[in-house]
Amino acid sequence: MRIRRRDFLKATGGGAAGAVLRGRAWAQAKPIRIGYTLSATGPYSVGAGITQGTGYALWLEQVNAKGGLAVKGEGRRSVEYVTIDDRSEIETAVRFYEKLMGDDKVDLILPPWGTAMNFAVAPVANKYGYPMIGPTVSSNKLKELSFPYFYAILQQPDACMGAFTGFLKELKGQGKVSKVGVAYVNDLFGIEMHGSLTATLKDTGLEIVDTKSYPLGVKDLSPVLKGFKAAGADVFLGLTYPPDNILAASQAKEVDFNPPVYLAAVGTAFPFYRDRFKGAEGVSGIAGWNPKMKYPGAREYYEAHVKKHQKEPDRWASAFAYGSLQILERCVGEVGLDRKKIKEMLDATEFQTVAGPIKFAKGVNVTTPGMVGQWQKGEFEIIWPKALATAPAIIPKPAWA
Amino acid sequence: MAASRVLLAAVALALAAAPWLVTGYQRSLLLAILADIALAVSWAFFSGPTRYLSLATGAFFGAGAYATAVVGGRLAWPLPVLAGAAVGGAMALVVGALALRLRGPYFAVFTFGLAELAKHTLIWYETRVTGTVGRLLLSPPEPWTLYYTVLGLAGLAVVTALLLRRSRWGYALVGIGEDEERALTLGIDTTRVKVGTFALSAAFMGAVGAAMAPRWTYLDPQVFNPLVSFQTVIMALVGGATTVVGPALGAAFLGLISELFLLRFRYAYMLALGLTLIAVVVAFPSGLAGIGRRAPRERPD
Amino acid sequence: MTASLLFDILVTGLITGGIYALVALGLNLQYGLMRVLNVAHGEFLMLGAYVTYSLHTGWGANPLLTLLVTGPAAFVAGLVLHRLLYARVLAQAEAREAIESRSLLLSFGLLFVLQNTALLVWSADLQGYSYLATPLRVLGAVFPANRVLAAVVALGLSIAFYVYLRRSLVGKAIRALMEESEGAQLVGVNLTRLHGICFGLGVAMAAVTGSLISMLFELTPFVGLPYTVTALVVVILGGLGNVAGSLLAALLLGVVETVGVYLASSDIRLISSYAVLSLILILKPAGLFGR
Repeated sequence: MRIRRRDFLKATGGGAAGAVLRGRAWAQAKPIRIGYTLSATGPYSVGAGITQGTGYALWLEQVNAKGGLAVKGEGRRSVEYVTIDDRSEIETAVRFYEKLMGDDKVDLILPPWGTAMNFAVAPVANKYGYPMIGPTVSSNKLKELSFPYFYAILQQPDACMGAFTGFLKELKGQGKVSKVGVAYVNDLFGIEMHGSLTATLKDTGLEIVDTKSYPLGVKDLSPVLKGFKAAGADVFLGLTYPPDNILAASQAKEVDFNPPVYLAAVGTAFPFYRDRFKGAEGVSGIAGWNPKMKYPGAREYYEAHVKKHQKEPDRWASAFAYGSLQILERCVGEVGLDRKKIKEMLDATEFQTVAGPIKFAKGVNVTTPGMVGQWQKGEFEIIWPKALATAPAIIPKPAWA
Repeated sequence: MAASRVLLAAVALALAAAPWLVTGYQRSLLLAILADIALAVSWAFFSGPTRYLSLATGAFFGAGAYATAVVGGRLAWPLPVLAGAAVGGAMALVVGALALRLRGPYFAVFTFGLAELAKHTLIWYETRVTGTVGRLLLSPPEPWTLYYTVLGLAGLAVVTALLLRRSRWGYALVGIGEDEERALTLGIDTTRVKVGTFALSAAFMGAVGAAMAPRWTYLDPQVFNPLVSFQTVIMALVGGATTVVGPALGAAFLGLISELFLLRFRYAYMLALGLTLIAVVVAFPSGLAGIGRRAPRERPD
Repeated sequence: MTASLLFDILVTGLITGGIYALVALGLNLQYGLMRVLNVAHGEFLMLGAYVTYSLHTGWGANPLLTLLVTGPAAFVAGLVLHRLLYARVLAQAEAREAIESRSLLLSFGLLFVLQNTALLVWSADLQGYSYLATPLRVLGAVFPANRVLAAVVALGLSIAFYVYLRRSLVGKAIRALMEESEGAQLVGVNLTRLHGICFGLGVAMAAVTGSLISMLFELTPFVGLPYTVTALVVVILGGLGNVAGSLLAALLLGVVETVGVYLASSDIRLISSYAVLSLILILKPAGLFGR
C-alpha cells in the first residue's frame, strides 16, 4: 500500500495545504465526508486491502473526476474520505465509528471488512441512523439481527452452498462424481458454510467419504488431503479461506491429490490465487462476478481498476464493494444526503450495478444468486447456474501446473 | 501522602463526571483506557511484587467475555460481570494450583499457553458438540452503564491494590518476590498467598472481559486473545509494576499515545509506537512511576 | 495403524519438528543465556522470509542460496541491535527478572517497528512463491519435497551448531557462561562480547528459518508471532538454556502434534501441543531436561 499524497496530507493534518489545494479546484461547496475504518494491519488486512480498499479508492477518484457527487438539489460536491486503520481490532473499530458518526458527524459511512467487524459496527450505525451496506458480510446469523440501517449485499452462506450443491447434483446426475471429501475451517464462516452444506448435500445422493475441520492458521493440511485421496474422493470440497486455501492447493499437488472436481470456497476468486498456481486451471470456488458478465459498466469497471491499481479486481466481493458505492451514489443523487430518505430508498428500489441488479429485502440482497466459478485460461468463468454461466464447466480438472 | 490522596480523589471525580462532559467517542476512549487500567493494576497485584511474569491475562479476560456471551442474554446487568469474575477466579485457582512449582520463564510460558488452550478447546467443543460458533448479544446495556461498570472495576482494582499493599498478604507477596525459600522458612504459607492473589487478580480480569464484551455484539472463541496478555504486561511494566499507580499510568499513557498515533499516522503508527516504547525503556529504567525517584542501586548479579 | 501410516506420521512429525528446532534454538540462545525475552524473534523470521521471497521472485535467486544473504545480514543486525539497545538494558538492570521484563518491553517495541517496516516495504497483501512443490515418494509414503528440504537444512544447521558449541572455543565459552556465569568471567570470558554474538546468532537462526519456510507458506507482515510462541514453548519444554534439550523437545513436539492431527483432526494440533506442554511442566517444572 503506497502512501497517496491526499491521504498523507490528511493524516499529518496538512489542513492548510489541503484546503488550498481543494480551494483552487472546488471553490464553492463543502465537501461530502464519507467515513470508514479498514484494517490496514493485522489478520483482516489481507482481505480488506484486496476487496474493499481498492474499490473505495477507485470510486472516489472517478466521482471527483466528474466534479464530485451529485446531491439532489445541491449540484455536485467533492467527496473526501475520513478513514482510519482499525488494526483488525473490534473494539477499535467500534470506537472509531462512534467518532465518525457521533463526533465528526460525517455525511455517510462505509463498512469495515469482515463479518465479525460488521456485526460489531452495525448496532452503532443503526443507533446513529447511518445506512451501511456491507460487501464482506456473510453469515446465517444475520437473520437473527434486526438493524434496519444495515444491509448485506454479498451472497449469504445458504446461497453459496446452494450453488455448490446444485452444481454437484448436476454432475452426479451426469455420472461424473460420486464421493466427496469436505474440509472446513474452524471459524464462523467455515462452520456456517459447513452447516448449510450438510443439510443440502445429503439430497444430492453423493457420498461424503470424509469430513475434516482445521483451525485458522493451520500449517499442514497434507494429512487431510492424503486421507481424502485414500478414501477415493473425486470431489474436494474445501470451505477454506486465505491463506489456508493456498496451502491446500499447494499441498494437494505435493501429495499428488488431483480429484476431478476441486472446489475451494473463499479466496479462490482472487487473481493472486490464479497467478500463484500458474493459472489454477480447473479450480473452482464461490463466484459472484467477472468482467464478461453483461452488466452495465462491468467491463469499464474492470479496466479502470486495472489502470488505477495495476491489478485486477477479485472475482467475488470486489465488484459488490464497488457496487455498494454506486448504489449510494444513486440514492444521494435522487434523495440527497438525508440518511433516513436514503434508507427508505434502499428498502424500496432495485439498483443496477456493475455486479448486476441488486434489491434488498429485510436488509439482505435477494437478487444475486449463489454462483460457482472456475479458472479457465486466466478468467474465473461462471459455470453455474446456467442462466448466468459465461462458460461451460471443465470436468475433470486438469493436472496441477 | 495527603496530596496524592487529594489528586486521586480529583481524578476519580473527573472520571465519574466525564460522560456528561465529553463526546461519545471520548467516553469510549476513556472506557477502553479504564479497562486497560483495571487489567494492568490487577495484573500487578500478583506479578508486581512476586515477579512471576503472568501471561494469563488473555485467558481470564476471554473467559469473562465468554461468560457474558453465554449468560448475557438471560441475566440482568451486572450479574454477567460477576459471572465473569467467578469464572476468572475459578480458572485461576485451578491453574495456580497446577503452576505452583514453576518459576520465572516456565511460569510465564505455562500461563501463556492457557489462553491458547482455552480458545482451541472451546472452539473444538463448539464445533463438535454444540455445532454453533459464536453468540450474538442483541440487547447490550446502555453505554453509560458499561462506562460506570468499568470505571467501578478500575477504581475497585486500585483500592484493592492499595489495601493489599498494606496488608500482611501484601508483605508476604513482597517477601516471596525477594526470596521465596526464605519466605517459606519464615512460616509464610506461600501456596495460599500465591494462589489466592493470582485468583483475585484473575477475578478482576474476568470481570473486565465480561464488562467489555457487550460492545462487540458477536462473541466467539477469538475473544481469547494472547495479545491482551502481552499488552497488559507492557502497560504495567512501562508504568512500573512494583507501584500501585505505575500500571495505571502505563495504561493511560500507552492508551492515549497509541490512539493519537493511530489517528495521525495512517501508515506509520506502529513505527511511532514501537520507537516510543523503546525510548521509554531506555530512558526510564524504573518505569514512568519512577520518574523523579533515585535510580535503583546496582546489585551485583 | 499400519506400518506405512506410522512411518508417515513419524517422518511428517520430524519434518515439522526439524523446522521448530532451528527457530527455537535461536530463542534459547537469547532467553536461556541472557534471560532476554525477545518477543520480536518471529519478526526476524518474517523478515528473513521476505528477503528470500524478494530475492527469489525479483532476481530468480535459488531460495537455498539466499540463506547466505539472510544469515550473515541477520547476524550483523543482531550484533548492532544488541549493542544499541539490549546491552544497555542488561547493564542497568539489577536482577534477572528485571532483565526479563525490560527486554520484553524493548522487544515489543522492536516488534512494532519491524512489522511496520515490512508493511511499508512489502504491503499487507499475501505474497508467496512455489518452490519444489512436488511429491517425494519414500517407502510408499508421500512427502512434500520442499518441506523435507526445509527440515533437513534446519535440522542440519541445528545439529551443526550443537557440535560447534561442544567443540569450538567460542562454543565452550558460551556453554561456560550458561552454566556458571561468574566463573566464566573470572577466566576471562568477555560477557558483553559473547552476549552480542549469541544475540546475533539467535537473530540469524530466526532469519534462516524464515528463509526456509518462505518456500512453504504465504507471507504477510503478521506471520511472526506464532513462531515466537512455538519457539518459546519448545525452549521451555526442553529446559531453558539446554541446547540439546530444545532440539529433542522440538522433534517431540512435532511428532506429538502430527500424531494428534492424523488420529483426530487438525483442530487437535494446538490443543495437543499446549496440553503436552502443561502436562510436562506440571510433572517436570524445569522442562524435560532442565536443571
